Amino acid sequence: MRWWTYLGAIVVGIYFLFPLYILVLLAFNSPKYTVLAKFPSLLPVSLTLNNLLTALQGTAFIDPFIKSLETATLVGIITIALAIPAGYGLSRLPRAIAYSIIILLLVTNMMPAIVIGIPIAVDFLKLHLFESVIGLALAQTLITLPLATFILQGTFSSIPIDLEHQARVDGANLFNRLFSVLLPLAAPGIAAAFLISWMFSWDEFTYAILLIPYHSTLPVTIYQDVTRGNLLAGIAFSLIFTIPVIILTFALQKYLRGEYLAGGIKG
Amino acid sequence: MKLTPFLLVLPALAYVIGFAFFPTIEAVYLSFQDPHGGFSLYNYEELSYFNLSGAIIDTIVVTIGALAIQLALGFLVASVLAREFFGKRALSSITIIPMGIATVVAAVTFSFVFQTSGGYANTILHSLFGLNVNWYQSSISSLLVVMIADSWKNTPIVALILLAGMSSIPKELYYASAIDGAGPIRRFFYITLPNLRSFIGISLILRGVQEFNIFALPLILIGEHPPLLTTLIYDLYTTTFPEVGLALASATILLGFILVFSSIVIKLSGGR
Repeated sequence: MRWWTYLGAIVVGIYFLFPLYILVLLAFNSPKYTVLAKFPSLLPVSLTLNNLLTALQGTAFIDPFIKSLETATLVGIITIALAIPAGYGLSRLPRAIAYSIIILLLVTNMMPAIVIGIPIAVDFLKLHLFESVIGLALAQTLITLPLATFILQGTFSSIPIDLEHQARVDGANLFNRLFSVLLPLAAPGIAAAFLISWMFSWDEFTYAILLIPYHSTLPVTIYQDVTRGNLLAGIAFSLIFTIPVIILTFALQKYLRGEYLAGGIKG
Repeated sequence: MKLTPFLLVLPALAYVIGFAFFPTIEAVYLSFQDPHGGFSLYNYEELSYFNLSGAIIDTIVVTIGALAIQLALGFLVASVLAREFFGKRALSSITIIPMGIATVVAAVTFSFVFQTSGGYANTILHSLFGLNVNWYQSSISSLLVVMIADSWKNTPIVALILLAGMSSIPKELYYASAIDGAGPIRRFFYITLPNLRSFIGISLILRGVQEFNIFALPLILIGEHPPLLTTLIYDLYTTTFPEVGLALASATILLGFILVFSSIVIKLSGGR
């Protein structure tokens, strides 16, 4: 039994790490052994920082990087601002009503970004929100809001309603109860919701390429670099793009759990 | 019924309806408009010149294939992580890494793994078997590349949901059936699977819908050859802009598939 577990663990570990290893090889190995080779080497044979330095020199990645940061943070804030009241409200509504509202939210999550994005792009052209970070963030919130609401509904449901009754007896109004009792207890769920919103939006490509096609966020810039044959820049930016999220993922790892993703499924 | 909870839900609800429902209805409505503003099937008839049926079949193939791979791998990962062993914490950290990697980055990396000339997959195949595969030779192998890249990025979510489900199954069930003489395979089919029904349903809906919408990965890995519904929509959109009728008509078809798929899965997983 033990033996199988370790074999499984090794297979799983290699499966998840291999592509990352390749990305590091591409970034730090001399191009002779990577993008230019007939059979690229699987070993770090000629480590160099030249790839990164030449790619980062003179190429505009700062602006897209900042745009990505701005968008993801804005999406996180808008999402949380809407999802905290919604999640709390849902957890206190009768089950049948809350359930149908959640279904409604999740169904909108199923609407393809590319279906929504095209009419929105046409509308944004008229509203001067085309090519703007705010317009992009408003659209991307659609992806994160249903999920964040779902997570927070589960979180607030797990807080015993008696705690709230007690605070109410002590004379706390809704806002006091929210800030002194509910929010501190819900903090892990809120952190999870924010993190997932931030990550989903950092990653988002479809709305970005439809709504900011020209001076876009980093994912679109990477796509454009790679398709124009600017391979090393694409690889270098990919690495830069990945580092913040890896740090964030590890820092907040304990909040990234199936229980949150499955939200109210058990509740 | 109290009003306050409902009022608190209202802003989020209004947001989603305003930004998702209305544009979707607008898209469907405009897809039935011909260039002269009349109401007709003009866009849908035009679509027949653009390999629409090929794109539909490819999309279904990718969706089913990627879901199958992700469920299988998700079960493998979840059953490994459900046990206690040395290095479990490290492995669960490794498992969530792909969730943090941007889809675009995954696509770029896998495009180098499955390079036409050489490529890392071929390096391995070449040194082991002396093979050199052209991954983009047939449309099915191109689609396989997309499925593999997608499964790397998205198996963790499936695994996390399945793991949460597995830990909710009472251990006594396993002990009891082990005493009754059920082996690991029987226990999997008679205890694990039935108890995970709603969790499998959730991950199928979550992933399946995204699978129909898969866009950045195929765009970077295979461009528009063979086309999926999303890359076809994007292609039509960029080549005919500011006329968007054709793109919207194919978008409406994609929407139809997603609605049908999700209602099937919701039915199968027993509603809740």
